Amino acid sequence: MELRRYIARRMIQVIIIFFVILTVLFLLFRWAPGDPVSMMVDPDMTQEDAEILIVQLGLDQPIGVQYFIYIKNFFTGHFGFSFHYGEPVVDIIWNRLPNTILLFTTSIILSAFVGVFLGKIASWHKGKKTDSLMTIGALVTHTLFLPWLALILIWVFGYKFGWFPINGMISEEVWLDPEAGFIARAIDVMYHMVLPLFTLFLIHFGAYLLIMRSSMLETLKEDYILTARAKGLEEKVIRDHHAAPNAALPVVTSVGLSLAFSINGGALTETVFTWPGIGRELVSSVSQNDYPLALACFLMIAGVVLVSNLVVDVLYAYLDPRIRY
Amino acid sequence: MLASFLEGWSIFRQNLLGKIGLVLLIIFALMAVCSYIPPWINPMYNPMTGVDPAITSCTPPSLRHWLGTDFMGRDILSQLLAGARIAFMVGISAAVMSIVLGVSIGMTAGYMGRFVDTLLMRLADMIMVMPTLLVVLLLSAVFGQLSIWTIVLIIALFRWPGVSRIIRGQTLSLKQRPFIEAAKVAGASHFRIIFVHIMPNVLPLAFLFMTFRVTSAIITEAALAFLGFGDPGTVSWGMMLQWVWKTGHMFQAPYWLLPPGICISLITLSFYMLGRAMDEVLDPRLRKEDQTD
Amino acid sequence: MPCINAKQRRSSCRWVLILACATMLITGSLFIASTASAANILKMGLLQEPKTLNVWRASDRWSRKVVGLMYQPLYVRDPETLKLIPWLAAEPPQFDEKTLCYTVKIRPAKWSDGTELTSEDVAFTARFINEFKVPRYRSKWNFVKKIETPDKHTVKFYLKEPKAIFVSRSLTTPIVQKKEWTKLAEEARKTKKPLKRLLNEKIKRPVSSGPFVLKEWRQGTFLYLQKNKYFFGTGKKIQGRLLGPYIDGVIFKIYGTSDASILSLKKGSIDMFWWGIQPGYIEDLRANPDIELFQNEKSALYYMGFNVRKAPFKDVNLRRAVATLVDEDFIIKRILQGYGIRMYSIVPPGNAFWYCPDVPRYGEGLDREARIKKAFGILRDAGYTWEVPPVDESGKVVNGEGIKLPDGKPMEKFTILTPPADYDPHRAMCGMMMQEWLRMLGVPAYSKPMAFGALLQQVKVRHDFDSFILGYGSLSLDPDYLRNFFISTNDKKRGWNMSGYNNPHFDKIANESASAMNRDKRRSLIWEMQKIIIRDVPYIPLYDPKLIEAVRKGRFTGWVQMLGGVGNLWSFCQLKPM
Repeated sequence: MELRRYIARRMIQVIIIFFVILTVLFLLFRWAPGDPVSMMVDPDMTQEDAEILIVQLGLDQPIGVQYFIYIKNFFTGHFGFSFHYGEPVVDIIWNRLPNTILLFTTSIILSAFVGVFLGKIASWHKGKKTDSLMTIGALVTHTLFLPWLALILIWVFGYKFGWFPINGMISEEVWLDPEAGFIARAIDVMYHMVLPLFTLFLIHFGAYLLIMRSSMLETLKEDYILTARAKGLEEKVIRDHHAAPNAALPVVTSVGLSLAFSINGGALTETVFTWPGIGRELVSSVSQNDYPLALACFLMIAGVVLVSNLVVDVLYAYLDPRIRY
Repeated sequence: MLASFLEGWSIFRQNLLGKIGLVLLIIFALMAVCSYIPPWINPMYNPMTGVDPAITSCTPPSLRHWLGTDFMGRDILSQLLAGARIAFMVGISAAVMSIVLGVSIGMTAGYMGRFVDTLLMRLADMIMVMPTLLVVLLLSAVFGQLSIWTIVLIIALFRWPGVSRIIRGQTLSLKQRPFIEAAKVAGASHFRIIFVHIMPNVLPLAFLFMTFRVTSAIITEAALAFLGFGDPGTVSWGMMLQWVWKTGHMFQAPYWLLPPGICISLITLSFYMLGRAMDEVLDPRLRKEDQTD
Repeated sequence: MPCINAKQRRSSCRWVLILACATMLITGSLFIASTASAANILKMGLLQEPKTLNVWRASDRWSRKVVGLMYQPLYVRDPETLKLIPWLAAEPPQFDEKTLCYTVKIRPAKWSDGTELTSEDVAFTARFINEFKVPRYRSKWNFVKKIETPDKHTVKFYLKEPKAIFVSRSLTTPIVQKKEWTKLAEEARKTKKPLKRLLNEKIKRPVSSGPFVLKEWRQGTFLYLQKNKYFFGTGKKIQGRLLGPYIDGVIFKIYGTSDASILSLKKGSIDMFWWGIQPGYIEDLRANPDIELFQNEKSALYYMGFNVRKAPFKDVNLRRAVATLVDEDFIIKRILQGYGIRMYSIVPPGNAFWYCPDVPRYGEGLDREARIKKAFGILRDAGYTWEVPPVDESGKVVNGEGIKLPDGKPMEKFTILTPPADYDPHRAMCGMMMQEWLRMLGVPAYSKPMAFGALLQQVKVRHDFDSFILGYGSLSLDPDYLRNFFISTNDKKRGWNMSGYNNPHFDKIANESASAMNRDKRRSLIWEMQKIIIRDVPYIPLYDPKLIEAVRKGRFTGWVQMLGGVGNLWSFCQLKPM
């Protein structure tokens, strides 16, 4: 009962926040000094042409009118046309979304798993060399500058050794070949995914490692661990079956909380590796003043962040009854 | 006061990480200070407009240019030093601004309570979950060109939630204290109570909390510059990475590619290490209990 | 319950790792296998993805490159003489002075869907442009009052007034298929914003009259164009060139960065990178035995522009002094690393017919000191004074300081706006050098790099600037832009007269040139216009960069060099597999 009310309250909050963001973004963009028409540099484009285009794109109407049209469109599912591609924004986002999800979720799962695993081991060997090594390793990798790391990896593994492609998601030889089946194409994508995945993984696993480690250290002090020891259970069993699962809980929440950080990282990775995802689309649409697309990309990302925070909060509230207010 | 400082210092000294962090930070600070030297020696070492009459392309390290030159013939070492200066400026300004904002808002929320509190804290929540980088990206699309100060301000606008929570908690506990009651009885206005009575007690905590979390400001500015949305008139490490990347020298010039990235990563690391050490000083529970284990 | 989770998690971890390793091994071998390339397909690298294949919307160069292989105009330029020659047309146009009518005969041709290309398509294209006011083409067709199609292969265009640009600019418009666009036009007419609707149409299967037609477009990665079996040029000899295409298709691979494409070129995954090679790579590529480099000129203009509407650049003497200080040698040798040519006029020298060799040349052949002295002379005679003159009494050149305007007031500092260094290092560098050179004369110049979009806003829309350094990467071969850049009626928001130049004499000659139907008469007018502009220097032409392109040897031969590079229609039609 209480949980349901909590969920409902949080959902309403999410909706309100989303609406606020929507409005703020709209105002921001309409207030913008730059407009996409002036970006079209062309000796052939006369000022009459430019003025006609502005009217056609609806950029000349009063703000209030534009706002209403905007909100109406949003709720009826019309997100407008990209100024640059000339295609419906929804199509573009729909096209890019799976690529981002693939890369992003894989990297989070991988970093979380490995981070938890190593953090558990580190805490077990606390104070010894293994622990110091892992902690320092985690610290160092976590503070590496992501775009720079990406460039270095491309340089070393893509250019110098030539083991991996230096950018993109697919190679057209495989995709154009009518005989290439699903497996071949899937493998091609995975091949391209190795470097970006590795970049994201390196940056993120450290944080999870450290959180898991301190969480384990806390958990190991708990009474029920003492009880388990008294019962005569093996150390390994205690560690893996009693302490670890509970210690892993804060990692879950931290995944949610650090989502903003990971998303920044995702956008940067996509840009450097020219991985055709939403992050990269956001960056390029911003640099071209393509408002509808930039807006939609950002809203998509904001929506994901809000929803995942909601999910994490609810999950945590479900698992730990103390955290409900 | 002095006693607690000395106590804190002795704890700090025991922390290896903290010491390393401090040393690194001092090195960077020295770099920042030294950034004024090369242009003074010879105008060709100016990081932005320095033109070496003999060199107009990317060259490897030499006696004249210890880290080589970039694609326009500018000295990379002076750019690196100038970048240190910018990093500190960005980090410290953003930290100061976010402290000012966070403390004010946190105190107000904690003191006023109820509606104001809920509103401000919800606002804080909302802002805290937003990916700062992407928001600044959007804003740079809107305003076309962002100067370095605008970037710093916007970063600060996204960092205050962290401080404000802590300060709010602190304020809540202070609110009940007798001396506040006394002030109220004496007829002091809310404003006066907040800023004259509460603030001095809260400020040290805020300061310590924020000062070593400047890293996200530095990283955000670097990422922005890297993507091409920074201030083209400033030479920051992120800007250097952008130049090496965009002008196609990524594979040819490790002496240009490596230093800025190493600097950004190291300065982040050093602040992080210092931050953890400071956590131990501030929070007795975190101190190493190697005596008992 | 926790027991199972922990164990599962650990073992699934292991499985992930094993799977990943296996993947990489298999992938490696598969990748090699699939690189046995399809024999006669040309692989080109693009720096960015085309935005659209809608010919009316295609404003960015990438879209235009690809669209240009499909939609063909009536006349194109010969690669050697740069003269307009009949392409879809069968012969040069006939002009009747009395009725102001151009008659064009069309070659027998077919569209890629097998239907015939007739005069209906040509007439439809022109009327379409006029009805919907399609940007960039509207101004080239809005003076055509009537179009007639007496038979399937003849079109008659009646002009309202004589317009010199008709042949060179209107008749080079891409022709679209009436069938393809009629329905779209009808639907657009029903909406409130028909042009917007048309520009937003996604053309999935463009109907092509060119050598290639779109087969597949995988967004973000590649475009695949196949040989168009209905191409009218196949097997024909046009201008003495026997046309193919002899290749089965073209794949355009999209790379986000020059690095990636040049790497691919070296590896052999692409045959050509369709973008200029930056100086940083040239030496490396030149030394590579598998790569051939082509050098061509561009019809381009990179220049410094002034705001002549206000001080200090209102004064022509100051502008001339600045023009004198420009060290062309430095720019070409150092900034462009030798890959560029000097520009003395607004029209590039490569455009031989229209280029006027007889314009004033400030500072040519002078060394730094001589230039400072000359500039000093110009300013001193115009009434400028200094706190510390750059040339002292004995005639020695020193560092000038504190220049004062003729009215005695010190000159206020002004900015030279440039694009950011990563967007265009050359322009940014020019800006910095101008700053240094001007400061030697005691002039308070400040070079300010600015985000490109914001820069355009300030210069084109708000007219809020002192000076800037910009460029046009591909100027048309017809010099009508000369009129557009400097005619006073174009001095408005978003207009092409960014400097604010206002000269009634120039306006008169410019308008005459627009309606001069006789080519030689027009040339003398265009020459006159160039002389006036360089005398008054609202723009200082700086340089015209050379275009270096890299091609992989051993696969294809027959690249045709032309103004603007080897990636031209002639190359595509003549390339043969080796």
